Amino acid sequence: MSSARNETRMAVRSCSAFVTAAAVAALLVTVAPVVAHHSAAAAYDESKRVDTQGTVTRVLLKNPHSWVFLEATDEKGQKVEWQIEMAAAASIGWTPATLPIGTEVKVGGHPSRAPGSHGMTAARFTKLDGTPIGRGQ
Amino acid sequence: MKSTKRRLARMQSAGVLLCAAALMATSGDPLPRLRAQTAQTAPATAPMPNLSGVWDGTGRAHPINSETIPWARTMAVGRTLPDGTKADANYVSNFPVLNERGLAFQKIFDEPLSPKYDCQPATPPAIEFDPYYMEVVQWPDRVLLRYEKDDQLRTVWLDGREPKVSDYGIQGLSVGRYDGNALIVTTTHFVFDITGFDDYNGIPSSPQKKVTERYWRDGEQLKATVTVEDLMFLRQPASYTMRWLPAAAGYKLKPFDCDPETARMSVQFIPAKYK
Repeated sequence: MSSARNETRMAVRSCSAFVTAAAVAALLVTVAPVVAHHSAAAAYDESKRVDTQGTVTRVLLKNPHSWVFLEATDEKGQKVEWQIEMAAAASIGWTPATLPIGTEVKVGGHPSRAPGSHGMTAARFTKLDGTPIGRGQ
Repeated sequence: MKSTKRRLARMQSAGVLLCAAALMATSGDPLPRLRAQTAQTAPATAPMPNLSGVWDGTGRAHPINSETIPWARTMAVGRTLPDGTKADANYVSNFPVLNERGLAFQKIFDEPLSPKYDCQPATPPAIEFDPYYMEVVQWPDRVLLRYEKDDQLRTVWLDGREPKVSDYGIQGLSVGRYDGNALIVTTTHFVFDITGFDDYNGIPSSPQKKVTERYWRDGEQLKATVTVEDLMFLRQPASYTMRWLPAAAGYKLKPFDCDPETARMSVQFIPAKYK
């Protein structure tokens, strides 16, 4: 009887582990980035990384790419607008509630190539305390 | 009197049944066919393979397209190929061999020229490989290839028609036939497309572009070999083989609704090649 109960418990555990693994796999599949609209290398330097902090002023969840606009302060104390290119709305898995306007965030990613520009891609967003926001692309 | 009425009612019922039976015998099935499906329908001579369904062409099925995917000069051993298999030491380059005109165009190509930044859709042989879902619908006289990316629809005509000069268009005119377990599609009558070969290598395609696709089922997978010929730019045909996986049950293609503002936004970050 005890052995049968153990077997049942193990079966339940295996089943719940399987369900968890399946859910994680499904989530990964759902949010797999689709970034193949253009060559990122033409516009962004994928060998470099840039980090900034600022306030979200606009979010466009669109196809072929979503964009986040950020008001930040540069090293000279001047206000600058960062334009951050994200995955397609079809695959990013964000809603307008993911990153509300006015949110203070930290963000890091590959910088744009054009001199003097403030663009970024492959970005990871976090709250100021380091909590991840959504999924980067 | 009552018995005559009963007999009349019985005869009416029998008549209705006879009419229905005759109708079914004539049409071959109890449902009326769509008008569009019967027009110019060639008689089916062999059973057609079942390629229908919604197919997953995202990164789950094959590597995401890039400068080296699906066209690659070299491939590291063990890297996943577009058809889901792994490259071995005998990998043979499938990168197109360009003629001098093709090389010249590639040299002067400037990324902002690419019409995708204005939401112009990709065309064969690139559209097949875009990492999105695709749906195949098989009708007696045509096959519909619906692409989630850019809301594109390609119609493959099976009725034996020949393309006309009025058929020139961005996706060309596709005709097809079944060959055993495969669907063979031939597409011609493309208009000039400055990125008509792919979205990454600055290779255009001309109205002489001819794309041949062979689709078949390999177990649960849908596979295709895509071959492109274009005497204006290529010295020889170039070809790749890819796969799709079945989409999750119930998945329906979503509207893409390409947004021209966000499509062109990244162009400002590309250093200018020309003033």
